[in-house]
Amino acid sequence: MSALASCPSCAAPLSFRPGTMVAVCPYCKALAARRDRDPELIGKVADLVDTGSPLALGATGRYTGRSFTLAGRVQLKHPLGGVWDEWYLALDDGRWGWLAEAQGRFYLTFTQAPHGPLPAPADLQPGGLADLGPDGLWTVGEVSEAAFHSAEGEIPWAVEPGATYRYADLSGRNGAFATLDYGEDPPLFFLGREIPLADLGIQGGTRKPPKVGTQSLNCPKCGGPLALRAPDQTLRVGCPSCGSLLSAEGGKLAFLKSLQQPRQDVVIPLGAEGTLRGEPVICIGQLRRSCHVEGTDYPWNEYLLLDSRHGFQWLVQSDGHWSLAVAVAPGEVPQARDGQKNLWTQGHTWRRFQDVEAVVEGVWGEFYWTVEQGERVEVTEFVAPPRSLTRERQAHQGGGGEVNWSLSTYLEPEEVWQAFKLVGAPPAPVGITSFQPNPHKAALAKSALWLVGALGLLLLLVMAESITHRNTELFHRQLNLYDLARIQPEAPGTARQGIPTRRPQAPSGSVMPAPAEPQEPVFFSDPIEIKEGHRNLAVTLSAPVNNSWIGLEGALVSETTGVAELFLVESSWYHGVDGGESWSEGGQAQTVFLSAVPPGSYVLRLAPQWDGKVPPVRTIDVRLRQGVMRWLYPGLALLAILLVPLLMVFRMVAFESRRWQESMYAPNAGSSGGDD
Amino acid sequence: MRILYLLFLGGGFSLMVANGFLGREFFGNRRRADLPPSVRQTPGAYRTFLHNNGFHGGK
Repeated sequence: MSALASCPSCAAPLSFRPGTMVAVCPYCKALAARRDRDPELIGKVADLVDTGSPLALGATGRYTGRSFTLAGRVQLKHPLGGVWDEWYLALDDGRWGWLAEAQGRFYLTFTQAPHGPLPAPADLQPGGLADLGPDGLWTVGEVSEAAFHSAEGEIPWAVEPGATYRYADLSGRNGAFATLDYGEDPPLFFLGREIPLADLGIQGGTRKPPKVGTQSLNCPKCGGPLALRAPDQTLRVGCPSCGSLLSAEGGKLAFLKSLQQPRQDVVIPLGAEGTLRGEPVICIGQLRRSCHVEGTDYPWNEYLLLDSRHGFQWLVQSDGHWSLAVAVAPGEVPQARDGQKNLWTQGHTWRRFQDVEAVVEGVWGEFYWTVEQGERVEVTEFVAPPRSLTRERQAHQGGGGEVNWSLSTYLEPEEVWQAFKLVGAPPAPVGITSFQPNPHKAALAKSALWLVGALGLLLLLVMAESITHRNTELFHRQLNLYDLARIQPEAPGTARQGIPTRRPQAPSGSVMPAPAEPQEPVFFSDPIEIKEGHRNLAVTLSAPVNNSWIGLEGALVSETTGVAELFLVESSWYHGVDGGESWSEGGQAQTVFLSAVPPGSYVLRLAPQWDGKVPPVRTIDVRLRQGVMRWLYPGLALLAILLVPLLMVFRMVAFESRRWQESMYAPNAGSSGGDD
Repeated sequence: MRILYLLFLGGGFSLMVANGFLGREFFGNRRRADLPPSVRQTPGAYRTFLHNNGFHGGK
């Protein structure tokens, strides 16, 4: 039950429910601290900044079965500019919840007694880890100092006008969120999570989500028209007419400085509306950033898109390549140490691509932070194409800093053109960007099914062939070449006289007739019955040649049809020693393969050949087989199966090689330290 | 690329099926010829016929 008291300034009734430390008078804005007897006046609060919050004082809701009332609110100023709201939930069980609201996101935390000592702010690095012992390991999102700006309602802690509060925001997996509040000694520990507003069932006092309504203003410098499309969140405006940088804090435009803007070569104009990935978006800001690597500037454009449902997104354009970037909570990404080459998160390995310092060169349109020309952030990029995880580390003036992670997804230029209905065709991308999807990888993946199917079919065919090819021997003979050539073995070099030719007898007394020339040795086999008409044939010649050769000219002739398979097979073997090393060439057995012949009776005609008059060997072995398995053709089929995929692999590897040539962490390049 | 792959697959499997199941051979030092009856019936005519068909045998 709330205790009633009187405002120490105007005596209006003030409510102090259990736990309320300070209350703001709704009439005179006096800040009254709870004391034993009467509230003490400790100051007055400034007007609240209209942040367009959907919440309002007095709204009710339910959380984990407990009903609550939004009893109070504090507005805190961020060192980079802008304010955020911290709402206080008075639950019906007496507890107080802290509901922080920033850029459309809500974080609900409850004060918790830490189980161990809390680290000092100096021990925390944005992007690093905070080990809270039994309370877990957290990623440090931000270490900074907030300044009290304004308040309303009942506040469960002792705020002071003008006070600053050191804090650290921690992020964990699955939306876990924690804050270390160093405004008190010992520091306070708040534990909770990011929560969708719908989960709180807010009623009463809730306003509709801010529409992307346009506020038309004029530039205070040049008078040019300015259309603010997110006036409740815009802190900086770059006038597209005169290039002035304007402050939009407090809802009013104020001239800050004139900017020397680079040439604007943007594609999507300010105010352009489109539908990207199913969501209506509007382009409200354009940034030109660049980095300097090895003496060369690499500029790119960033388009700030406002999505009425998801808040802010970034469309990034670089050398014709496009990507869509959304914010990722630091706790969802494992810590990346300096020099660490790989990250494992979201089910992928992300490889470090580059570390650069990005500088803002040009500012046009509206921005939700106090962006400055020349603003620098340390950017580290990890890629797992087609996506990229980028970490931006920024130091705050006066100490502290913050880390922001964003997840970028590669977009085809045509998708951007279609989304914003841009005229003409998009310019072709130049080069290969860090997380551009490898088109050859996709093609190879598509052909994988064909490859597997073809290999399976090949295996089946080979198995079928090995069963059906029985290697049947049709003819086998050892031919005595001396007999065939009619050579006397006891007088090598002397050929036996062959069958005399038909020459008239020389008259007696005349010159003796010349000895008859030996006939070409030829052999005819007995009829060979070939029963199968769909199996190949193989003629194998084996001869114990030694630094010589034997040829066999043959014909397999059908006795009925006259079809003849003419062939030539040669057995040669040469060997020697050359420079102390032995060598050999050829083989004593050779096979020639013949196509299948129609079934029937065949005769094998064989005519051996050799150099000189005397054959180098006495006997040769000739064999005719049918249904001989040949591995040449399955080998050719395997080559056909693998050739195109191998070509695709080659192209895929070449693409990746070209991609990583641009990286500071190329696979074969030297890199400093780090682990994988 | 898909069409090229299909052509390669078709060619490779065609060769294999033609050899494995139809007995066709596509490589090697052989040739098919039809011997006229006169060649078959005339002694020694093979030699001339083979010579004229590119088989230059003999010593």
